[in-house]
Amino acid sequence: MFEKYGGFGAVSKVVSAFYDKVLDSDVIGPYFDDVDMRRLVDHQTKFISDTMGGPASYSNEALRKVHAPHRIDRDANLEMARLLRETLLEFDIEPADVDAIMAEIEARSAYVISGPAT
Amino acid sequence: MSEPARDIAMNMDRFRAALLDTVGVGLAVVEPNEFRLLIHNAMFAEWFPGVDDGGARLLDILPDVDLPMAKARLGEQRSWKFEVEVKPKRRTIVLAVEVAPAEGAVAGELMVQCQNISKIRELEYMIESYSNMIERQNRDLRKEKERVEKLLLNIMPQQVYEEWKEFGVTTPHRYDAASVLMLDFVGFTEMSIRYEPTKLIAELNDIFTGFDRIVEQFGCERLKTIGDAYVAVAGVPEPNPDHARNIAQVALRFVRFLKRRNSTSEFEWRCRVGISSGPVIGSVVGVQKYVYDIFGPGMNLAARLEPLCQPMEILVSGDTHALIGNDFAFSNLGMHDIRGFGPKAVYRLEGDFGAANDAAFG
Repeated sequence: MFEKYGGFGAVSKVVSAFYDKVLDSDVIGPYFDDVDMRRLVDHQTKFISDTMGGPASYSNEALRKVHAPHRIDRDANLEMARLLRETLLEFDIEPADVDAIMAEIEARSAYVISGPAT
Repeated sequence: MSEPARDIAMNMDRFRAALLDTVGVGLAVVEPNEFRLLIHNAMFAEWFPGVDDGGARLLDILPDVDLPMAKARLGEQRSWKFEVEVKPKRRTIVLAVEVAPAEGAVAGELMVQCQNISKIRELEYMIESYSNMIERQNRDLRKEKERVEKLLLNIMPQQVYEEWKEFGVTTPHRYDAASVLMLDFVGFTEMSIRYEPTKLIAELNDIFTGFDRIVEQFGCERLKTIGDAYVAVAGVPEPNPDHARNIAQVALRFVRFLKRRNSTSEFEWRCRVGISSGPVIGSVVGVQKYVYDIFGPGMNLAARLEPLCQPMEILVSGDTHALIGNDFAFSNLGMHDIRGFGPKAVYRLEGDFGAANDAAFG
């Protein structure tokens, strides 16, 4: 899937557009108030590439470690997933592939969420 | 100006103003003394909230700017460029700012242009991190390749490996002039019960490493080890007219090496060595599990001779003796009935005549 959609170049465009949405969102925007966006976009590009079968890999432990300080709750996680799905579709990723990416991300959400259930 | 012309001019002004507010570039005009803002567009106001209050100076919104330097550059009619980070909302934005004398200025007004280069910076960062990642992966791959290469060179000769690497297959070769040496240790099974395994294997490893060095020194090749047995070959895959002589030298060095080692060790290693010469076929065997092996009467005879040895003896076949009988000291042990071969002449290798050779080989 990674090669099919054009590799890192294509994924980075999706991720960049995705964060434009994220930062505009009142639900999850505040999580990013003091975040170095360059690093974030870089990591997220590699992470999404990873879920698409690209040459990068993030362990569950690494995911847990970087997200834990932000106390991310289920709502924020859902909002994030909603915006990502929306962005992927806007970039003409086929719905079946979007489902596969989102399923992969959802499968690892346990390592992202650490905040109280709301 | 006629009425319609005035209307058009007014509309054009409005159009220009609207245009200024829709471009994605932040634009402002400042006066040249204190850089006080005269006019600016909507994008500029979005990036620098507060300028709308009026009378703001460029230095109020860009406090880190080096004013003397700016004035000096502008004095030379050159534009003054710098980058600045602003955070009007959530996202930190990197702006490339260029201040230059405005076209058509009446009192030296300056044009300030701001371009949002955040995405470019993000991409630059990503390209760098991506290429670092690729480089790291390449390094790992190279290391892995070297490791695999080293492993493969343990199971096949360099020349065969090169052929395998280039063509993906290797062809069996017949070597008419080759000598095979087969060595094993007397009482190794008992030793393996008597001694602690780690210690015993470390010893064996040491000895085989020593053997490898000797084998290499004489241009021979270690073919394989099977348990405590060590098989070396000369004339394969590199033809070598001195194959028998070299393998005999190797055998003598093996025995000497062990004697020296035994004199200072708690272990007593006693070997038996069988040597034979003759045609062999060398080939990689196996598809999933490769092994380079040789086949032929030379190989089998060496294997049959070895159990006939007394400890620390080297026995050679008549074929080998025929090649180097004049170069080394031998004892004729007469004919022996050897399984699969019938009666065969067997000689014991006692030593070499060439003391000069000895010195040369250390």
